[in-house]
Amino acid sequence: MRFFFYILGFYMMSLAYGDEQKVIYQYKKYEKFDLGNLEVKGQLIAPGDISVRERERKRFEMDLFNRDNFDSFIAKDVESLR
Amino acid sequence: MKIIFYILFFLNSIPSFAEEKKSFSSALEDKKYYFSALNEFFIETYNREILNSDLKKLESLLFYTGIELLEDYDSELLLKYPTSSTRFILGRKAFQEKKFKLSLDHFSKIHPSHRYYPEGKLLEAQVFNAQNKLKERGDSYLECQVSAEKNESNAQNEKIKRYYRMVFEICLVNKARHHFKMEEYKQALIAYDRIPKKSYKWPYLLLEKAWVYYQMGDYNRTLGLLTTYKSPLLDTYFFPEAEYLAALTYFKLCLYEDSLIIVNQFYQFYRPRFQSLDQILKKNRSSQNYFFNIMFRPDEELIKEGEFVDQILTRMKKQTRFSLDFNAIFKIEQEIKRIEQNEKGVIKDKLLPHLKEVKENLITKINYNAKTDIFQFLDSIPFISQELFKLNLEIISRKKDLVYFNKRLIADRSRGDYSNIKRSRFEYFWKFDGSFWADELGDYSMGLKSNCQTIRNEKVEEE
Repeated sequence: MRFFFYILGFYMMSLAYGDEQKVIYQYKKYEKFDLGNLEVKGQLIAPGDISVRERERKRFEMDLFNRDNFDSFIAKDVESLR
Repeated sequence: MKIIFYILFFLNSIPSFAEEKKSFSSALEDKKYYFSALNEFFIETYNREILNSDLKKLESLLFYTGIELLEDYDSELLLKYPTSSTRFILGRKAFQEKKFKLSLDHFSKIHPSHRYYPEGKLLEAQVFNAQNKLKERGDSYLECQVSAEKNESNAQNEKIKRYYRMVFEICLVNKARHHFKMEEYKQALIAYDRIPKKSYKWPYLLLEKAWVYYQMGDYNRTLGLLTTYKSPLLDTYFFPEAEYLAALTYFKLCLYEDSLIIVNQFYQFYRPRFQSLDQILKKNRSSQNYFFNIMFRPDEELIKEGEFVDQILTRMKKQTRFSLDFNAIFKIEQEIKRIEQNEKGVIKDKLLPHLKEVKENLITKINYNAKTDIFQFLDSIPFISQELFKLNLEIISRKKDLVYFNKRLIADRSRGDYSNIKRSRFEYFWKFDGSFWADELGDYSMGLKSNCQTIRNEKVEEE
């Protein structure tokens, strides 16, 4: 009986090791660009007014103090009586 | 035998009528030692049943001493004496502790003919305001005004008349302030205009009216009202917020240079003076009487600050609170003198320590109030400084935008025209060309045209 368990144990261990796969990491190899040989198809024009688009600048306004109540004045007036 | 007994009994009873013993407090009251009598009255009555006659006596004593002394008394003790004066004090305490229901209960029990009724109604309106009960608030303000006017007309003394006038005006002005908060600007102005120019409150209201006009977009009137503060008659009234509002209004009219003049003036002139004043006063922050003393005799360091300190202190001395407390100190000093001159040693030993203690308490109170007022004023400077700094940045940003868009403002600084002045059909108009500051204080208006329209620069300068 004990022998049977040993065999079963070995069998399960071998299954567990068998699941691991070997992962090989490989980095991308260098690519060479011959910049001098590159060709861009299109028309060559000089930059001018037409090429600069005028756009509205985003304006950030300060949140300036704008009094909308006199609550503190009311409290102060009552205090000033006594 | 029986007849003899009756005669003896009758004869025996005569001295008891003649020498009916008065209480010590009554004896003191007869001698017009009211502050001492008040203290003795509480000692005599606090642990016995309170009678109607006691309440009458308390009211009569408080008529002379004022209720300021009761502010330090325990509420439980004051509850034993249900008079209008004590209810006023208790209602006020409850309001400060935010016990609104209790506060309203006390205020509702102040008798309508009592001298504190108008002020009670003013405070009641504050409670309703805190509870957001607008209808009740309006009713209380109205009752406050009616009763204050009635009391003013019946008052014998000029000081008392002034007190009721002040209560009336605060109730009226608070209504205006509530209209302002609700953005009902025209109604706010109607209420503000009911305050006469000779009123103590009037100089303070110029700033508030200026804000109302600002919110209505009448910038010329805002600037005109703020100009009033430059009058020699109002030199004790300096409000940093008024400087800010003027700069902000010029900014709204796109008169950037004018706005910058005010900003720079504040930074160069006022801020350093406030800072040095702050340093001097901070050294004495924990003193019990420094601020009381400088109200009458500024020390050498403060004198160096010149009329500036005088202006702040003068304004504080005009407050009703100061006047009441100082008047109480004066009366106590008179009582101390009379006791020292007229009474024997035992009585002196019994009365004087208490009176001196009360006097010290009042000095501490004035000192505390003065200190609070001064530091609240000084603490407002950094806030206004910060807002002016933000305004400065905004002006620089706007100017930068003009350059960026190759534009300029439509006019230079030579602008202004009578046609820009808005006025109602009840307002007359006089030109102000080198005239003397006079009756028209507070009715000025500038004639500036908004400079916010921009035009594109036609020529771009080339190198």
